[in-house]
Amino acid sequence: MSILRGFLILVLFFLLGESLRLVFEVPVSGGILGLMLLTLYLMVTGGVGHSVASASQALISVLILLIMPGLTEIFFISGKFSGQWLAVIVSLLVGTFLSVVTTLVLLNALARKLSGGANSHG
Amino acid sequence: MDSSFTSWERLLTLPQVLAGTPMLAIAMTILAFFAADRLYIAIGRPVWLPPVVPAATILAGMIVLLGLDADSYREGADWLMLLLGPATVALGVPLYQNIHHIRAMLWPIVITLPIAASLAVAYTLVIAWALGASPTVMVSLAPKSVTAAIALGIGDTIGSSVPLLMAALLITGVFSTLCVEVAVRLLKITDERVIGFALGLNGHAIGTVRAFEISTTAGAFSSLGMSLTGLFTALFLPIMFRL
Repeated sequence: MSILRGFLILVLFFLLGESLRLVFEVPVSGGILGLMLLTLYLMVTGGVGHSVASASQALISVLILLIMPGLTEIFFISGKFSGQWLAVIVSLLVGTFLSVVTTLVLLNALARKLSGGANSHG
Repeated sequence: MDSSFTSWERLLTLPQVLAGTPMLAIAMTILAFFAADRLYIAIGRPVWLPPVVPAATILAGMIVLLGLDADSYREGADWLMLLLGPATVALGVPLYQNIHHIRAMLWPIVITLPIAASLAVAYTLVIAWALGASPTVMVSLAPKSVTAAIALGIGDTIGSSVPLLMAALLITGVFSTLCVEVAVRLLKITDERVIGFALGLNGHAIGTVRAFEISTTAGAFSSLGMSLTGLFTALFLPIMFRL
């Protein structure tokens, strides 16, 4: 029962996020708004209940299952955009490599400088 | 089913008939997930191969073998993907549990986010433009580092092609996890918070799945990177394309 109660709370936060998105026409998904609202709520109340923690852990452990169907579609759309695929693949691969390196170098340097080496692994 | 068919013929049309209920797609997805898990362990968990790749490949193979078309699979799998909403909300729990780590990293994150999230878009667009990509392709590649639900919303605003946008998201997600593995070794970065944030900022949900395999702290920073990049890009891209 506990995990079901936690699931209900997560679904309610999702619906709350969706409602905010629809009412205020926010360009962000209901899931992300719900995530932020839940984090805020936990910060205010100062603790995660057992039911929310176990429902959250269960869902996160199957996250990969939820992104598989989307990834599978890649195998079935290759016919479209013929002639553009070289530009698509090269720009995605090189662009992603550059931005990964930028993020790692920048954040690592700032983390050392601003938050101090001593407790950086705390 | 028509009784004038033989049992054999009825057996052959079974996949199409069962595809009318979401249960077939759900069973196929979970089956592929476990098969890929076994395979992944059997080949020794190579770092260059994010586990979602063999999983999706096995799943695509099953769709072809059963003679289903991608659309009827997708209709069934949509039932499973409904869980993506509450699963995204669930990321708030590790985020909260790591809030002290995040407070300690507040300024580095505040400075890195706008720079890295803008460059993630800019690098790819400049290269695509140099290689002669059409305007439709460019607007479809732009939200590549954003998690699917937000990216589809952005794509709607700026006029992206949905299948190409999805492909760009997935290629970026998979390749980001690979790049992070390699770059972390080359740059000798050991801070799990930095690794997690880079995975979420660049590789959205696919990066976040990988980050949770490293540790909950990496997962929390990845969730944070994914959420902040989603917010930032959702606000910034439509404005940029209007100019």
